[in-house]
Amino acid sequence: MDLDLTDEQQMLRDGARRFFREHYGFDVRRALLASETGMSAGCWARYAELGWLALGQPEEAGGWPCTFVETAILLEEFGRALALEPYVSTVVLCGHILARCDHGGAARAELQAVVEGRDRLALAHDEVGGRYDTERPSVVAGRRGEDFLLRGCKSWVLDAQAADRLIVSARPEGAGDLALFLVDATAAGVRMSTYSLVDGTRAADVVLDDVRVPASCLLADEVAAPVVLREAIDRAALARVAMALGAMEAVLQMTADYLKTRVQFGQPLGRFQALQHRLAEMFVEVQEARSILCCGLAHIDAPAVQRGAMVSAAKVVAVNAARIVGAQAIQLHGSIAMTAEYAAGHYYTHLLAFEKLYGDADWHLDRFAAHAVA
Amino acid sequence: MHFEPSLGDAAFRAEVREFIELHLPQGMARRSYICSQPPDIGDFRRWQRILHDRGWGAPHWPVGFGGTDWTAMQRHIFMEEIYRADAIDYGWQGTHMIGPVLIAFGSEAQKRRYLPPMLRGDEIWCQGFSEPNAGSDLASLRTRAELVGDEWVIHGQKIWTSDAGEADWGFFLVRTDPSAKPQRGISMLLVPMSAPGIRIRPIEALNGGRDLNEVFLDGVCVPRENLVGEPGQGWTYAKYLLEKERTASAYLYRNKRELEKAKEIARAERAGGQRLIDTPEFARKIARVEVDLLALEWSVLRILAGEKNQHDADAVVSALKIRGSEMQQRVAELQIDALGPRALRVFRQHDRSAEVIEGTPLWPAYVPGRLGQFLYARAATLYGGTREVQKNIIARRVFGL
Repeated sequence: MDLDLTDEQQMLRDGARRFFREHYGFDVRRALLASETGMSAGCWARYAELGWLALGQPEEAGGWPCTFVETAILLEEFGRALALEPYVSTVVLCGHILARCDHGGAARAELQAVVEGRDRLALAHDEVGGRYDTERPSVVAGRRGEDFLLRGCKSWVLDAQAADRLIVSARPEGAGDLALFLVDATAAGVRMSTYSLVDGTRAADVVLDDVRVPASCLLADEVAAPVVLREAIDRAALARVAMALGAMEAVLQMTADYLKTRVQFGQPLGRFQALQHRLAEMFVEVQEARSILCCGLAHIDAPAVQRGAMVSAAKVVAVNAARIVGAQAIQLHGSIAMTAEYAAGHYYTHLLAFEKLYGDADWHLDRFAAHAVA
Repeated sequence: MHFEPSLGDAAFRAEVREFIELHLPQGMARRSYICSQPPDIGDFRRWQRILHDRGWGAPHWPVGFGGTDWTAMQRHIFMEEIYRADAIDYGWQGTHMIGPVLIAFGSEAQKRRYLPPMLRGDEIWCQGFSEPNAGSDLASLRTRAELVGDEWVIHGQKIWTSDAGEADWGFFLVRTDPSAKPQRGISMLLVPMSAPGIRIRPIEALNGGRDLNEVFLDGVCVPRENLVGEPGQGWTYAKYLLEKERTASAYLYRNKRELEKAKEIARAERAGGQRLIDTPEFARKIARVEVDLLALEWSVLRILAGEKNQHDADAVVSALKIRGSEMQQRVAELQIDALGPRALRVFRQHDRSAEVIEGTPLWPAYVPGRLGQFLYARAATLYGGTREVQKNIIARRVFGL
């Protein structure tokens, strides 16, 4: 075991931190929040040039094969900068599905498009009433000759508004519970209604009205699909832990700096022991969040049950830390943190979104308990 | 960054496990299962001797002094196995505290005189730091020692001295220069606990234990050469001793074992017609503790792996101490919660009767000891620097406040 970054990993971290510092200031980000897509196509193109969209992808698709550690390093910096681009949806979630389903053909071509920054993807899996477990989607995939016809409604499709393609989970008629299809976001019969989430990112409800999908776009059948999907969602959950960690570190530092400069009762707030201890508690939470991220990373390629348990542990610990750090950041700043004009509140809403995506703490606690407590 | 275990770690673990299985006396393991903190002194002496005979009496010492050349990860595995088997944690105040100080700062004569019997478990040590008016504010201690001819003459009082009654020796912080700044005027002396002028008064603890003591020193004389290192450096040595094993403050191995015990209890106890552990509420309660214990474990692993942490090392250890001590309390709470009202029955701490050790149908062996350990755990956020002192350290070292 070696927990130090390699030179390459260090370069990745430094490069990402520098990029965001130079190109992703608070005002830039606020302008993006107000824009129609809520993200920067320009930055996305830069991510492709920097090789970030190739992380962990197979060489045959133009990728840079590496461990999930690199992804976590990069996403920590995304979190620090509160970057809005759909990296987790496109690269971590859909990119992994494509790579696992790459038998040449449509998946391979799509993966190349992802790596080169030509396509962004979103996963259309969740449905109303499914909460975090849509094991048997109501969206059906009927047959029309060699092709499939998708019919039904997906909800809560993160980053759909910025996606060129969707990966849709559907129940193949007469063949199991779940299969995965690659669908053009502008295909006839695809209707999206987009909405904003608390952290400024977007999601959409997607109606599929007899959307015709060629057989070559069946990515995973009923045997492979549940396995690949669970892997991908676990990776997305852990990727968001890394993002949350970056966000927590940033807002903690911001809070400490504020306490040193804000004068009340004739002295900097940081002189008050009650507030010093609050900072210390936040520090401990962030330390533990980093440790549990290591635990998750160590098990991300483990067999499904163990991987799931450790990702769940990571999520539970990180959510708890995020609640404490996010709330205390506002409390220690005072009212200034309640304004949209100040970054502390944006970290708070980012951490709030983190809580609920890819399984909340309750869901993950139960999954962990099923594995560890018996 | 990678997570592959080192080649040979698995074989090492098997070797340690086999040794413990072969050599740990069953009765000793049972007694330690009931009450591991503090261990029975007689058992401690025997077990220390057994480990010493294998060359494992103080694995963290340098080889030349009877230690081992184990890696940090191997020492970690060793401790996991010690606790897993309900063996006895090796001598804290001896091999863990004063031992490394003597190795680093002691005279040759001191090393020759004190280290071998410490390693064999022949001589037990206690620590004389705290005083009635010097707890968290240790630097204000007032016990003084004056050099008269070739002897240090000590006057004063220490408190919370564990095992003072059983100990052969104590290492004491005393003020030798009243005119110096508080930290600079403190020295460390080695004191035979049988010396004339020492009076020991056991303090009955909340859990009925009597291992804590007040120690009165009334004109106690020790030879000049019992000073450790330089005069006025006692504070430095005390800090060194408290920081030597940086990961110890996580109490990781104890916490992992005690969580297993909590699960054992929850598997055996029944509620509403089912095993307690099968009720979703209690399963979640356990899981909540266990995920935090995993985080704590990885905090330890990060230090063991020598991660070049971006944060101040003292602050990282303080964070570990906060989490590790709170974890002791949370795990003990789980045990008590799992036992329900049965947790309240008082068993005398040193009751080693067959009913206690073997258990009875009405009172299984997992009941006695849990209440005492639970109460003892309240001290976890006090000793070794209170939680509040640890937070002060973090605020200072990380944020410059």
